[in-house]
Amino acid sequence: MEEEKIEKPEVVFLKPDKIKIFRATFGTIHVMVDNNSLYRGVFAVAAFPVSNPTKYISLFYYDERDREQEIGMLEDIDDLTEQQRDLVKQALTRQYFSFEILAINSIKFAYGLLFFDVETDKGTRQFSMRWEGSRALDYAGKGKIILDIFEDRYVLKDISSLSRTEQELFLRYIYW
Amino acid sequence: MSDTDGLSIPDSVLEKLNKRGIKSSDIRLKTTADLDFYGNPSVIWVFATETKILVIPETGLQEELEFELSRIKRFRIRASVGSAYLQARVDDFFIELVRFTNALRYRFSRLIVQLDLLRQGKPVSDEYINEPHPMTCPVCGLPLQTEKATCPRCARQGPIMFRVLYLLEPYLHWVIIVLLLMFISVALNLLPPKLTQILVDEVLTTRRHVDWLVWIVVALVAAELMRALINMVVGTLTTSIGTLITFDLRKKLFTKLQGLSVDYYDQQSVGTLMTRFSSDVEAFHGFITQAGQGFLLNMFLIAGIGIMLFFLNARLAFFVLIPVPLVLFGTYFFWNKIYPMYFKFWDSQSKISRFLNTVLSGIKVVKAFAQEDKEIKRFEKMANDLKDANRRVNINVAKFNPLMAFLFSTGGLIVWYAGGKTVLANTGFTLGQLMAFLSYTGMFYAPLSQMALMSNWVSSFVTASHRIFEILDTEPQLKDAPNAIRMPRIEGHIRFEHVTFGYDPYQPIIKDVSFEIEPGRLVGIVGKSGSGKTTLVNLICRFYDVQEGAVYIDGKDIRDISSYDLRRQIGLVLQEPFLFRGSIAENISYGRPDASFKEILNAAKAANCHDFIMKLPNGYDTQLREHGSGISGGEKQRIGIARALLCDPPILILDEATSSVDTESEKKIQDALDVLCRNRTTIAIAHRLSTLRGADKIFVVDNGRIAESGTHKELLDMKGIYYRLVMMQTKLTSIETEVG
Repeated sequence: MEEEKIEKPEVVFLKPDKIKIFRATFGTIHVMVDNNSLYRGVFAVAAFPVSNPTKYISLFYYDERDREQEIGMLEDIDDLTEQQRDLVKQALTRQYFSFEILAINSIKFAYGLLFFDVETDKGTRQFSMRWEGSRALDYAGKGKIILDIFEDRYVLKDISSLSRTEQELFLRYIYW
Repeated sequence: MSDTDGLSIPDSVLEKLNKRGIKSSDIRLKTTADLDFYGNPSVIWVFATETKILVIPETGLQEELEFELSRIKRFRIRASVGSAYLQARVDDFFIELVRFTNALRYRFSRLIVQLDLLRQGKPVSDEYINEPHPMTCPVCGLPLQTEKATCPRCARQGPIMFRVLYLLEPYLHWVIIVLLLMFISVALNLLPPKLTQILVDEVLTTRRHVDWLVWIVVALVAAELMRALINMVVGTLTTSIGTLITFDLRKKLFTKLQGLSVDYYDQQSVGTLMTRFSSDVEAFHGFITQAGQGFLLNMFLIAGIGIMLFFLNARLAFFVLIPVPLVLFGTYFFWNKIYPMYFKFWDSQSKISRFLNTVLSGIKVVKAFAQEDKEIKRFEKMANDLKDANRRVNINVAKFNPLMAFLFSTGGLIVWYAGGKTVLANTGFTLGQLMAFLSYTGMFYAPLSQMALMSNWVSSFVTASHRIFEILDTEPQLKDAPNAIRMPRIEGHIRFEHVTFGYDPYQPIIKDVSFEIEPGRLVGIVGKSGSGKTTLVNLICRFYDVQEGAVYIDGKDIRDISSYDLRRQIGLVLQEPFLFRGSIAENISYGRPDASFKEILNAAKAANCHDFIMKLPNGYDTQLREHGSGISGGEKQRIGIARALLCDPPILILDEATSSVDTESEKKIQDALDVLCRNRTTIAIAHRLSTLRGADKIFVVDNGRIAESGTHKELLDMKGIYYRLVMMQTKLTSIETEVG
């Protein structure tokens, strides 16, 4: 009987010259691999979205049973042509969304909730979060991701970028 | 502008619709999204007519979209990180129609329900789509801690306080006695300075009534003694009332929690509920004690002393009031500053406890991976944080106390100066009166300062009350129907009819599943982790209600069956059987506390656990600790089987009952299960497919659907998913055998 070899599972890295990424109808992205496998409705996911957002980008599609399947991983999107890189960047923009906090106008505590009034990259926003440690996640060692009651994400990339008063106000409540 | 059902469509959007030949009267459904595809905040309209779905941007960088509903196979929501999409399956892949923040996921999940109804030609409603999010109060819009929780703003202090007073009702007679005693205590507090005045004016300075000296001293001693006695009685009574209320509340809470559905526990962590039982309930105890011995007493004291001060000398009394705003403001300001510091301190303390608990429990792992130095550094950081937080609190307290003492003394100094001048001016204000006045002044500021803190403890008490009443007011999601059908003996016929269900209603786990199980049959359910196997079991037990379709037992919809009858007749053996603190006998007879010793012994024998139990020094009386620690996984599992066997349920569910034990234990468990499965409907979820060879039927669950079904042999012949799983396990077993 032929001895069967058990393969060690490995990440499939997609070589830039072996793939073709293109925009199809209705803004969807299709990917052709090795000129013979076409994947439609592809979306991109970063393996290290905080520490290395443009490297190790995985491309996924949904198979006929609606299951997410990984086509493979791009080691560095800078290795792609400009046009393909832009498409992957757009796919990443579609995958990740957050409000970046630039300044804090006020934080008030009431009914077990913190009520924030902040300036973000998308304008002034008011939101509320449950005052629990699990609702403020660490971000790159010097910032925080705050999850509001609807699970919307507010990223403060660097606490030290706030003014002294804002830092004091922020750390008075978000000290975890 | 066109306004149908509340949402006004702007003219610019109406114009775009008109260009596409759509009139506002054609619109059956409409709502808005808040992002364009590039993540810019925008207003994007989604419309549905009888035949089409349209996406029209009011603002934002997005193209218009239009699809015939007949082209769309289905709609769904795809969650990305921080936002989500409404997708439509057109041809053989999904197209993103519109993007929105997570705050609108609820709205779009309801839109999908309405779109499906529209496609079926059924009536639809915009109101259903645009209903307020369950995480907000439908009355005032305040965000809530959990879905459909009681709104703390709408149930503000007034009603809460009434509810608290209502809790006092059974102890009202004691409350009245406490109030009366408090009045007497305040009167006794006011007596010593007055006696001092008489002592100074009538005995010591004028020597008019030297013989009064002894009686005044006796009266002072009697007043102090009486006050001490009354305070003891008041303290005992308030503590007793507080303890009794705490007892009542804990009982009510536990009874309520036992009645709540499983989905409630999905939203609440055990730690949070433990806090309700410990610190929040304890806050009630604190409230009664504070109210009795602090708040009310202080209020009466301030009133009584105030009256005495004005009675003695109204002009001087105004001088006493000068530092009052400073005392009140200083206390309030200080506590607002220091209050969050305490949170940080408590948080640092609990972080260190959690860390120690984790690291000391996992010390073998730490040592095995040689991570001692890393853990020491982590501990140092936490200990440092605790030190800083502790220091900060204590430094602030150390600054505050002398400052308040100074403010109190200024009042006394003012009285000394102004009062001294009055006495020297011989206006009739005597030295004795001044001494009494000074005594009252000294007694006046301390309760005032405590009253300034009242808002803090009232607000923390009200917060705790809200959290407790929130549980007490929660209605179980799964209630028995008013005329629930009693089924004292279930036969065991199970039928799923087009069942769709998801723990998150936006993401179905079970999708349009239909199957039937005849009574007395052994049915296996297999599939990958996360495929929906355990969810099927949860629906049979009615831990959750289906979102679409129905589950029938003996031909009756389980939503109509009395949940007591249903669950009493379903035996559940889980992968990790949950053993309670108590004896082995108590654990076996958990579902039937009335079982005789003989029945317990027979159940244990049949479950293959009798022999190991008899080897224990205390046999069936062996006390198990939490989670049954002290006995092996296989032994725990067999106790779990004995428990199920003793109940003799017509439906038995085995959820990975043998997957976490070694091969030898598995053999013993399997033998026990063979006995257990006889003459009852058995549903066995198993990873180890070899255990299902004898099943009458096997369902292969894949991605929430029944992908294959048949006997072991039929499924092998199909050469589908089951065949691949069997082949994979055969390979693994042969490798294990070789290695072994």
